[in-house]
Amino acid sequence: MIDTNYIVYVLLNTALFILISPLYMGIVKIIKARAQGRIGPPLFQQYYNLLKLAQKERVYSKKSSAITRMTPYVNITLILTASLCVPLVFAPFNSGGIGNIILFLYILALARFFMAIAGLDAGSTFGGMGSSREMSVSSVIEPITIIVFAALAYTLGTTDLHQMFQKTSQEMTILNPALILISIPLFIVLIVETARVPVDNPETHLELTMIHETMLLEYVGRDLALMELSHAIKQTMLMAIIINILIPWGFATQYTAIAIAVGMVLFLIKGTLLAAFIGVFESSMAKTRLFGLPNLFVVAFFLSMLTIWLEVFK
Amino acid sequence: MISAALAYSITQALLVLVLITGAFIVTRKDLLSLVSTYQMQSLLLAGIALTLYSVEESPMLLSLAALTLISKVLVIPYIIKKIQKQINIPRDVEFHYISPIASIFITIFLILIVYGAFTNILKDLALSSLFYLGAVFGISLTLMGMLITFSRKKVITKIIGYLTMENGVLLFSLFITELPFIIEVLILVDLFMIVLLATILAIGMDSSIEAFQERFQHLHIEDLQEKLHLHRKHGGAN
Amino acid sequence: MALQLYLGYAIASLVATQLMKTNRSMNLVALSHVLACIALAAYSLNIGPAHYYDKNFLIDTLSVYEIFITGTIFFFAIIYAGGHAERLIDLGLMDKKNLKPYYLSLNCLLMFTVLSFASNNLALFWIFVELTTFFTAFLIAILNSKKNVDASLKYIFVTSTAMLFSFTGLILLFALSESATGKGTLNWDELLANAHSFPPVFLTAAFAFTFIGFAAKSGVAPFHTPLPHAYSKAPSAVSTIVSAVMLNLGMTGILRIYAIIKQTSAGPAASNLLIAFGLLSLFIATLSMLHQRNVKKLIAFSSTEHSGLMLIGIAIGTPIAIFWVLFHMLAHALIKAVLFLSTGIIQRQYNTNNAGKIINIFKMQPLAGTGLILGSAAILGMPPFILFLSKFSILTQVAAYSIPLLFVMLLFLLIAAAAFTNLLSEIFSHTEEVKMERYNAPKRMTAPIVILLVLIFVLGIYVPNDLYVFLTKVVSDLKF
Repeated sequence: MIDTNYIVYVLLNTALFILISPLYMGIVKIIKARAQGRIGPPLFQQYYNLLKLAQKERVYSKKSSAITRMTPYVNITLILTASLCVPLVFAPFNSGGIGNIILFLYILALARFFMAIAGLDAGSTFGGMGSSREMSVSSVIEPITIIVFAALAYTLGTTDLHQMFQKTSQEMTILNPALILISIPLFIVLIVETARVPVDNPETHLELTMIHETMLLEYVGRDLALMELSHAIKQTMLMAIIINILIPWGFATQYTAIAIAVGMVLFLIKGTLLAAFIGVFESSMAKTRLFGLPNLFVVAFFLSMLTIWLEVFK
Repeated sequence: MISAALAYSITQALLVLVLITGAFIVTRKDLLSLVSTYQMQSLLLAGIALTLYSVEESPMLLSLAALTLISKVLVIPYIIKKIQKQINIPRDVEFHYISPIASIFITIFLILIVYGAFTNILKDLALSSLFYLGAVFGISLTLMGMLITFSRKKVITKIIGYLTMENGVLLFSLFITELPFIIEVLILVDLFMIVLLATILAIGMDSSIEAFQERFQHLHIEDLQEKLHLHRKHGGAN
Repeated sequence: MALQLYLGYAIASLVATQLMKTNRSMNLVALSHVLACIALAAYSLNIGPAHYYDKNFLIDTLSVYEIFITGTIFFFAIIYAGGHAERLIDLGLMDKKNLKPYYLSLNCLLMFTVLSFASNNLALFWIFVELTTFFTAFLIAILNSKKNVDASLKYIFVTSTAMLFSFTGLILLFALSESATGKGTLNWDELLANAHSFPPVFLTAAFAFTFIGFAAKSGVAPFHTPLPHAYSKAPSAVSTIVSAVMLNLGMTGILRIYAIIKQTSAGPAASNLLIAFGLLSLFIATLSMLHQRNVKKLIAFSSTEHSGLMLIGIAIGTPIAIFWVLFHMLAHALIKAVLFLSTGIIQRQYNTNNAGKIINIFKMQPLAGTGLILGSAAILGMPPFILFLSKFSILTQVAAYSIPLLFVMLLFLLIAAAAFTNLLSEIFSHTEEVKMERYNAPKRMTAPIVILLVLIFVLGIYVPNDLYVFLTKVVSDLKF
């Protein structure tokens, strides 16, 4: 039902996502730089980057088709739609089922699909190579992701993310070993989906070592800004899932301005901590060979199976 | 001492960690971490025994925990590490018949089978759900150990697999019933013997190729030196 | 009292072996140990049906029978080993300093085998069987070759792993008895007495687990894998002991736990399990035998085949079947001894087990050749040898149970016969001249073969009535 509560949710959630995501990207970059002995970019550099890119002109290859022109918009639309599935600070009273995990996962998959074919579209070798790599990695991770979210759903008794967050925020038990256990596979899924070390190096400039970045090689200007933003929002979404499942304090349980404000501040803090953790995690590892990735995924698979067993034996 | 609910959670957490160490041993390739993982596993097992003791107050569990601690966390890893130094291989590279990923999938499959089989078998015993979890995980650990023993080539890894199996049986016995202490001692005696014998034999089997070649070269050089001496003695030139 | 006396004597012979210096003296000490073992069996036979030494040890009629067989086999094996060890040391295949550990292990092996037969407590049975595995593995590895160590390690890992499953089965049995009678016990007689109160499904699971370990000890497929390597690489005396005595050890274990489960309604399920494994053993063993070129490995697979036959006999479960299975244990042990001792001499002559290289055997080693032929005929179940009686009777019992099963078994046994014939005809058809020095086997190696050949011939024609009566008593004691 479209009521004011719902409209407020849509506006607030989307605005938060768009505003916070570049900040988290920046924090990860700063932590990584500090770990490498550099000072790193200023905190709001990503915002400046996006603004700069938005003002630049767009250049398209002669060989590219409408797909290349379409994809950034399709992408950002899909990502923002998916962002409705993940409440950051409060969940609407009546979500009408948009929080369904399967819906969420497959909207993301659709976005990835468009990125992949756009990568092929320009006809350059690196684009095609990147698309095929990205597709191989994601086809291996997909069943694992399903199992991970299935384990999550089994533990919390619902497939709706909105209800999951409400449940964890109301019960607030941190000593649930199943949730602690499932956060590890969720973290692995985060790493894979956002193409971070050890799956892929997001800061590499060598096309031969890129998996995800190659698909973005052809974009400039506003398109690139949109793609970068959607990437950042995707990361924030997955971070939000981990945060709101594992450390749900601050998630607004009542629909009041104070609760929402407190929720926003707390989410900011928690997100910063998680972003810092991601930075530290990335700095402590090296990128794994492509064929070594299934080992990582199998860890996620095994741990999610363990979670399911723990719940079965309750 | 501690409340039953807390002990329940702790035991659950420890059981999960034990199974994770088992999976770790199945997938890991470098040998040094295998022994440390085994130590961690035995430590967790002693921890489970202690937690059960705090709930059930039977002195046998306490002595079992102490025995496990001394023998499996201190003595046996020490012996194996000493043997490893002599053999001097850091990694069990390519010396396995089943890839680690396939091993994990087989493990998961085995755990499912154990769960299915035990639902039927153990319903007469009327165990609490935690004890049921412990029994299933115990047998699963045993099967994982068996997988390691049969899918690896290096003898040291096979020994670790056997040790994991014994840990699994111990875990199983902790949760199914209260065995008389003498039986636990028996299984420990068995463990010591087998480990000792296998490690002694392993020195012959696993020694790195360099060590063998060294010995071979040593003999060869001696042989050559002898020939040179004889040659010089007879005053031959060229 | 007798068991403690025996134990004391066993330890004394260990100490004596440690102090001795020559092969001959150590051999004599070992022989005296064997005689003490046989004396124990004779004494226990005399004093009546079953004697308890402390609640955990029990020498009942089955124990007496098995200890007798063990003593006999060890007797011949150790006499043989005396001459054999000298030859091995001369050829450089065994280190001189390994002679003492060799005899010490043989003594320990005998001691622990007797102790395991005398155990009432299944946990003690388990640990003693594990100790026999330990010493057997040591004996297999006693020669200087890397392949021996390989075979020994394989033997340890397969057998010990299977025995761990047995231990799990014992834990289940303990839990079972605890839930049924309130007091957990692993004593066989108590379990037998309370068997009818055990829930069947649980008992079947416990049986299945416990079966695995003892099956591995007996060489039942699919746990038989280390045995061909172990038998062919180990010294022949050791192969004899492992093939005859360890197999009986495993079979006794299976027989005892089958006796427990037969009392309950889970009996048929256990029977089906045993028949399945028996058929699998027959299948794998006989098909593997067909292409074997190595004589010792052929005999090793024949052990697996006979384990399968005995398993099916046990599975049938009628008193007559069990009777003849017990008889089969004796027959099989004696004939395997003949086979392995003969092949031992052949191996020393030709330095190989490969049938292609064994040339002109009747000229070089007539006794060993005769032993091989007659032993093979005997192991296939030909009259007038002793195995014919038990094999024929077991097959008769199988016919009464199920005709299709009989036909399948006959097929496999036929394949086994073909395999033996194939290999033997290859060996005995090489009659060309060969420039090899004839190995004069000492009397100590040839005498046991002759005596055993006479035994298996005589016992095939005339079985003393006392033996029949005794075996009937064993069967009834097991409550079949």
